Amino acid sequence: METQPLVTIVPWTFIAQILNLFIQVYLIKRFLFKPINEMLEKRQKLATKELDDARASKEAADALKEDYEHRIEKAHDEAAAIVSSAQKEAELRSDEMLADTQAQIVNMKSKAEADIEHEKKKAINEVKDEIGGIAMDIAGKVVEKEINEEDHRRLIDSFIENVGEAS
Amino acid sequence: MDVDITGARIFFTIHTGIPWLGDIPISETIVVTWIVMAVITITCIVLTRNLKVENISKKQALAEMLVETANNFVRNNTGGNKFDGLIPFVSALFSLSIVSNLISLVGLRSPTADLSTEAAWAVVVFIMITAEKIKAGGVGGYLLGFTQPIPVLTPFNILSEIATPISMACRHFGNILSGIVINTLIYSGLTLASHALFGLIPGAIGSFLQQIPFLTVGIPAITGVYFDWFTGVMQAFIFSMLTIMYIANAAEG
Repeated sequence: METQPLVTIVPWTFIAQILNLFIQVYLIKRFLFKPINEMLEKRQKLATKELDDARASKEAADALKEDYEHRIEKAHDEAAAIVSSAQKEAELRSDEMLADTQAQIVNMKSKAEADIEHEKKKAINEVKDEIGGIAMDIAGKVVEKEINEEDHRRLIDSFIENVGEAS
Repeated sequence: MDVDITGARIFFTIHTGIPWLGDIPISETIVVTWIVMAVITITCIVLTRNLKVENISKKQALAEMLVETANNFVRNNTGGNKFDGLIPFVSALFSLSIVSNLISLVGLRSPTADLSTEAAWAVVVFIMITAEKIKAGGVGGYLLGFTQPIPVLTPFNILSEIATPISMACRHFGNILSGIVINTLIYSGLTLASHALFGLIPGAIGSFLQQIPFLTVGIPAITGVYFDWFTGVMQAFIFSMLTIMYIANAAEG
């Protein structure tokens, strides 16, 4: 078979190799760089999108957290208010009850004292009446005696009997 | 024993009546270049099949790595994104060169063992360098550049300008050719040694074993590590590197 010289430049081969080089440039661009670069771009877009999404969801979560914290704080305040109001009420009520009781006691005491006084007065009055009665009786008896010794005697006896009865 | 090293074989020629250019020879160089291009293109297609954004396969990781390496190679040597348009060109040049150099390992003749190939590449690079220079300084600036620093140096400047593509082409071609020459010499040397060694065995067995070049098994593989693998990769790298550096320098003016 025919061979070309070892070191030579064949014009047609030269031209063909230039064309081959540019064809290869196109092929490598079309089949390696284009798909890979497109894919890389897509990946970058996806990464950017995911980052944005993550940022957005973080913001949302932060807002939610703040909201919750706010609410919890509010709830705490409310609870504290409720507790303090209840305490106040209880204190008030206990004070009231204490005052009531004290008033009652005072009342009862005064009533009892009044009762005692009354009873005392009653007793004194009774005693007074009795004494009056006795005096009247005695006076009567004294008057009767003058009329009748016998009657007088009897009167004394009855008086004594009466006194005995009364005592 | 005759050792004969020739150029690429010519399978057939297409007759044209064109003067000076002559007939179109369909040589090994052309055919193997097509094979090389097919190998590169099919590799690209296979690597970029089923591209995914997430959960990428090893294949895709390799493809991405190749693209990233090419991008970084060009960007690091030009210092910026200004020459991103050149990335496919440099990649094509590098892949053509390296696959052409290494295809000799499967027994085909490297297209880079034909000076026409390297000359074609170097001329394309030279045109790009010149285009960049003219783009940077205008036609006047480009022409004036030859008279720097003193007009006396003009012939030397022109010479050095022309020397650029010639040296690029010849450097690459020379390395590949020397690999072929040395491999051929080693083969024939080992065949001769084998012939002489087994010729020591007397009788019919000796003259039979003499015909089989036993020593050529194994030893060329070791020398091939340097002359085929290392030189092949190195020359492809150097050629691409020089291309990108010359063009970047040209743009700086």
